[in-house]
Amino acid sequence: MTTATVNSKGVGTPTTRIYGALAIVALGWVLLGGLFFTPEDVVQGDAVRIMYVHVPTAWVAYLAFIVTGIASACWLIGKKHSLGFDRVAGASAEVGVVFMAMTLLSGSLWGRITWGTYWVWDPRLTTTAFLFVTYVGYLAVRGLGGSPEQRARRSSVIALLAVLEIPLVHFSVVLWRSLHQQASVLSPDGDIKMDGLMLFTLLFGVFGFSVLFAWLVSHRQRIMAMQDALQTNALDAAVSERLREAQV
Amino acid sequence: MDLTPRTSPDNAPLAPRKRNRKWKYVAMLIVVASAGGIIVTQFLTSAIDFYCNVDEIGVRDGCEANRRLRVQGVVAKDSLKSASGRTSFVMEFNNHSVDVMYEGDPGGIFQECIPVVAHGRLVGDVFEANRIEVKHSNQYEAENPDRIAESKATPCTQLAG
Amino acid sequence: MNHAGFIIATYGVTFGAVIGLAAYAIKQGRELSRKVPDKDKPWT
Repeated sequence: MTTATVNSKGVGTPTTRIYGALAIVALGWVLLGGLFFTPEDVVQGDAVRIMYVHVPTAWVAYLAFIVTGIASACWLIGKKHSLGFDRVAGASAEVGVVFMAMTLLSGSLWGRITWGTYWVWDPRLTTTAFLFVTYVGYLAVRGLGGSPEQRARRSSVIALLAVLEIPLVHFSVVLWRSLHQQASVLSPDGDIKMDGLMLFTLLFGVFGFSVLFAWLVSHRQRIMAMQDALQTNALDAAVSERLREAQV
Repeated sequence: MDLTPRTSPDNAPLAPRKRNRKWKYVAMLIVVASAGGIIVTQFLTSAIDFYCNVDEIGVRDGCEANRRLRVQGVVAKDSLKSASGRTSFVMEFNNHSVDVMYEGDPGGIFQECIPVVAHGRLVGDVFEANRIEVKHSNQYEAENPDRIAESKATPCTQLAG
Repeated sequence: MNHAGFIIATYGVTFGAVIGLAAYAIKQGRELSRKVPDKDKPWT
């Protein structure tokens, strides 16, 4: 049996280190600026501080699910059916589910102090909950077993269907009457109605959480690649062993 | 070629079985399907028609005055009164108004000139609410003493619902 | 700060979750790197 070189440094690269550093700086500002330096809102008071994490985590969850959809399409369309696309899809969905959970939780706490309730079955909240549950289901399907190729085939079809829910969630506040406010930055009339420092902190939050997303997906998809390699190597070893036994 | 997992002399598997892990994901899928069913039901029964505007009571389909309603409007300026644990105010929308009575303090950022959704029934001319939710707009402005003084001198700007 | 409990809980959960997720990714990456040969790690 040949011995392969093993490097135990982890999955970081110079690029992911840059992502990590940018995320730390941007999210450091969001933490300090969001909690202490930004002004109170004229109507909501301090409750507006929740917006600096709620909106960026929602944005990253959307982004993650869109990346999952695009990577799944690339796997399906590509002639080589490269498993790299499938791993990016899976890693992105994992991160998206965590961010969506954070969005639901922060939104629920924000709702309690502004609307007066943790939860209502209004169009935005209901469609968001459905989106979250869909991607939890997607991850469950990925875990059902089989070869990496089987996993990629069944999960890519689900990802392409699930991504269609995102416009429904985003436009639910326009399509139906909702307790949830309309988008502040991507508002239908294109007019941003936000104070300068508030907008700066919000956009910094969007940037910070987005580079953190890139860092997390890079790491997770490499971890998945190593898990797949271990599984494949174990199978190859078993086959070689049985072949050797047969020759004896 | 037979690639079934090896077993020890007492027939126990040499490698840990992955079957339990698979069942974990199957259970997760069952939970997801049930949760999805509940959410879709809530969407069809509650979310699509979340509320009626004040001017639609008794006019629009689904907003009949004799049924339990969710009504949206703006709390009229100088109409808010709190006495013996009850809150009363006038809710306006599109030049129509309705008197609202609520047992308790609505909480949240409830105040005059803010859009609200009241859940309850119309009893005579008064809407008796047992739940009030406060809507807030997508506008965020820093608190400014001059601006507050200015806003107190002007009537409510009615926000679209 | 009004509603400090709600606001701090939101920041605590959000930042706690992302730090936990990042730490878990680093730990898992290091552990697997020791088991997997370099030929299966094209980023190294």
